[in-house]
Amino acid sequence: MNQILAFYHHFDWGIVLPSLFKPLIIQGLIFTVLISVISQFAGTVIGLVLYFLRRSRFAPMRFFADAYIWFYRGTPLLVQILFLYLALPYLGIAVPLRNFDFFGAIGFTPELFFLDSFLAGVVALSLNEGAYMSEIVRAGIDSMDIGQMEAARSLGMTYAQGMRRIVLPQAMRVIVPPLGNEFNNMLKTTALISDISFYELLGAAKQLGNPSFRGLELLVSASIWYLVLTTVWGFIQSVIERRLGASSLDPALRNTRWWERLMGIGRGVETAPAIPGTVAGVPPVIQGDRR
Amino acid sequence: MATTPTTNGGASDLPMVDAQNVHKYFHHNQVLRGVSMQVRKGEVVVVIGPSGSGKTTFLRCLNHLEKITSGRIYIEGQMIGYREMPDGKLVEDSEANIARVRAEIGMVFQRFNLFAHMTALQNVMEAPIQVKHEPHDQVEAKARALLAKVGLAEKDDAYPARLSGGQQQRVAIARALAMDPKLMLFDEATSALDPELVGEVLAVMRQLADEGMTMVVVTHEMGFAREVADRVIFMDGGVIVEEGAPANIFTAPQQKRTQDFLHRIL
Repeated sequence: MNQILAFYHHFDWGIVLPSLFKPLIIQGLIFTVLISVISQFAGTVIGLVLYFLRRSRFAPMRFFADAYIWFYRGTPLLVQILFLYLALPYLGIAVPLRNFDFFGAIGFTPELFFLDSFLAGVVALSLNEGAYMSEIVRAGIDSMDIGQMEAARSLGMTYAQGMRRIVLPQAMRVIVPPLGNEFNNMLKTTALISDISFYELLGAAKQLGNPSFRGLELLVSASIWYLVLTTVWGFIQSVIERRLGASSLDPALRNTRWWERLMGIGRGVETAPAIPGTVAGVPPVIQGDRR
Repeated sequence: MATTPTTNGGASDLPMVDAQNVHKYFHHNQVLRGVSMQVRKGEVVVVIGPSGSGKTTFLRCLNHLEKITSGRIYIEGQMIGYREMPDGKLVEDSEANIARVRAEIGMVFQRFNLFAHMTALQNVMEAPIQVKHEPHDQVEAKARALLAKVGLAEKDDAYPARLSGGQQQRVAIARALAMDPKLMLFDEATSALDPELVGEVLAVMRQLADEGMTMVVVTHEMGFAREVADRVIFMDGGVIVEEGAPANIFTAPQQKRTQDFLHRIL
């Protein structure tokens, strides 16, 4: 450690703190949040779609979904990002857009924000997240008592109505805690995009720090921002969970404090909430019969 | 409720339920081996039998929660679950058509299956609004009246988890009645209840029967069968072994299997 620090002469806190508010860092921070939100949202939608494909009556759709999940969970995310970054121009997607000064138009420094990097990053993160979200969606929906859907159907509701009105709202309580963890992960995983020359938070830190041999200080600046982001998110998540658990009798679900959430020590956050009729630990599978 | 087209004219002579030679397999396990029965309008039919006899499966076939393997089931003259092609083959009906028939058949489950994220009132209001698109105010008035009918007017804001089993089941009955069903199916509606709560649910069922509701009731409550049923059906091994007026079935069963069963439980 001393040797490393010796290379920088001394570790200068006087660089760390002012760097926090340099325009490029602030812009990177905004992009990290923006990319995280877009990718998590798209990934959740993809995860839902994959769930229904896996439950489809048509074998090719089930096969597609299984193959998709197998592929995206079986290759490194960094490889997927690099692959898309190199492949998108071949698809002709980013090249025409690059001429449009989108980032300049909304007040950023255009020469430091490459739209094709942005696109490749968002698409890769979304597709990857979809594979993981489909597992979370599956755990949530399949943990519902099959009797809920049967009751809905017995009243004349269709499968889609039963899903939308009865099953999904209840499954949300099971889905939201791991979804929150995924978003916490996403906030930090966006750092991988710095490898395709995008100046999100880490990319901006490297851009500022490396040429001036102050990389270590800038990494600490970036880390402080990442900690702020995940802390704020932990607070938001516990508020959401408490709201969702309002009609639940399970006190563990209602009373997860934001700091417990943050430290990962919240009681009962990973277990199914007390929904009457749910057999704990043995999620009844919604059967193939979709009528 | 406005009169439905199916109750016009000659349709009123049709039996409410007409099941013809119903067979049902779960994979290679044959659960129903040719069940035929009719239920007249206003009739209360109670199905009894040992567990595994197929009585619950048969009941679930009546609203197509289980697909039958062969046979036919007509609800007031309308086949449920399947369409008959010109060549006599049966094709599973569209989801919308099946839902339409189900909307007229109320079902009460052994484990209540109340929507856990909704209050008692919301449970009762859900289907009339979502399925029949009835106006909200009208549905709410009807739902409150139904909750009052099952003795739970003051529990309108309670979530199911806050209700006892007997209360949940009564809300479930009100939920089914909110669709103005012409037929009610009861699948062991009291089997999951603590003994002291059974009575309050049976009282509601008895009241419904007195009001002329057509009912098919699968139950282990022999007292209820004896007092309320117009007809008792004894099932065993996937077939109807014996049926008749409750007095005959309970006092002078003809079949040995019926005698053995009644011997064991009475």
